[in-house]
Amino acid sequence: MLKKSRRKVLFFSIIMVSLLVSSANAQVIDQYWVDEIEAHLLQVDVNTSAEIVVYIVQSLRGHGITDGDGNEISDIVQLGVHIFNEVPLPTPNGDVVGIGKTDLHNGVLVLVAMEEREWRIEVGYGLEGDITDVKAKFIGEDILVPKFQEGNYGEGLNNTVAALAEEIPVPNPTPNLPIRGRYFYENLNPPVADELPPWLVTLIFGGVGIAIIIIAIVIAYLVKTGKIKPEKRSTTWRGGGGWGGGRKPSGGARGGGGRSGGGGAKGKW
Amino acid sequence: MNGKIVAIGIVLAVVITIGIFALVYYGTYNNLVGLEASVEEKWAQVQQELQRRYDLIPRVVNATRLYLGHEEEIFTEITALRSQWAAALQTGDAETINNATGELEDGLSRLIVVVESYPDLKASDVVIGLMSELEGTENRISTERMRYNEAVRDYNRSIKVFPANVWSAGWGFERKGYFEPSPGVENPPPVPSD
Repeated sequence: MLKKSRRKVLFFSIIMVSLLVSSANAQVIDQYWVDEIEAHLLQVDVNTSAEIVVYIVQSLRGHGITDGDGNEISDIVQLGVHIFNEVPLPTPNGDVVGIGKTDLHNGVLVLVAMEEREWRIEVGYGLEGDITDVKAKFIGEDILVPKFQEGNYGEGLNNTVAALAEEIPVPNPTPNLPIRGRYFYENLNPPVADELPPWLVTLIFGGVGIAIIIIAIVIAYLVKTGKIKPEKRSTTWRGGGGWGGGRKPSGGARGGGGRSGGGGAKGKW
Repeated sequence: MNGKIVAIGIVLAVVITIGIFALVYYGTYNNLVGLEASVEEKWAQVQQELQRRYDLIPRVVNATRLYLGHEEEIFTEITALRSQWAAALQTGDAETINNATGELEDGLSRLIVVVESYPDLKASDVVIGLMSELEGTENRISTERMRYNEAVRDYNRSIKVFPANVWSAGWGFERKGYFEPSPGVENPPPVPSD
């Protein structure tokens, strides 16, 4: 076995590397709340066929979502419209473009940018009558903002989607449309730093690069000689608990396809 | 015998060639018709949202006017610009309309700046509601203009591609103009988020 001091160093370097790796993928919302929100919104989809989707970006710069010309979108309203109408999002039945059912356009997107502390609610064409711009504004200001200011992001989002769901009429009989199956998305691409002088950037990258190589060599050596087991990497995508009990999708058919036109509201916290 | 087969072969080849040409010709034409219809449809959407803003303005004016008695000037101005825009629509002249739209958007920017500088106003629920409606309208206008420009881009591209470029002038398909903000207005009024 390793000497005590070497074991400590080993332990320490594993922690450091894990931190380095995971800090780039910091997960903002507790899994508990993610599961709550997914279960809640699945139920809304089943009861009303409306799709409420939550999408989190670390920052308005660095998320990697580009417009038709290839430029990254940095305005939260434009980003919301783009995510709602153009970006394929994964669901249990494959990737889907559009939020809300095709032809019904009954979708809502709750988009938050953590670094800029901005929120946006984008309402699909079909729900603009039920969730007016004013209602969206007040739901955001009165329900989302206070919780977010406290740092209770998960609870804030859960309450916000609950308030939005309350405005959606429940059709009778229960609709029998394909279920979307996934409602929570977190874009974990790290925010882009402000411009640093190039020499500093090179120095930092060079230094970090060398440090990572050294640590990697150390770990590789230790793994090879059987001293430690390899870590599992966290994935860039993280979503909810999958189905959480409820209907199964009707053989391959999936939700999505709805469109929006810029309606809704935004604010800051 | 041989001659007959050759003759039939030639006739068949000619018929098939004509058939393919006809398919390409009409296919291209129909494609352009579809793209042009899409452009017109998107333009109608833009007009619809502009109309929505037109309808909203008096409500915003009436609500905020109560708090801003001594800023009467800005309200008279907005009301005048609004009427000017409606008049411009009647003329049907693209340049007049664009200028009037630009001036109205300028005026709305100034109104928003005024509203921003009165904390009491910003705290009023009625005003918050109306400003968010105004913001929603501006967002809708931006979105529809963007979609209109996308449709124009697709259309303009299609009339330049072979073989459409050969026939499009003859068919009467001309290049369409993009929506651009009129001079003096860089962006639509920036509505504050809180």
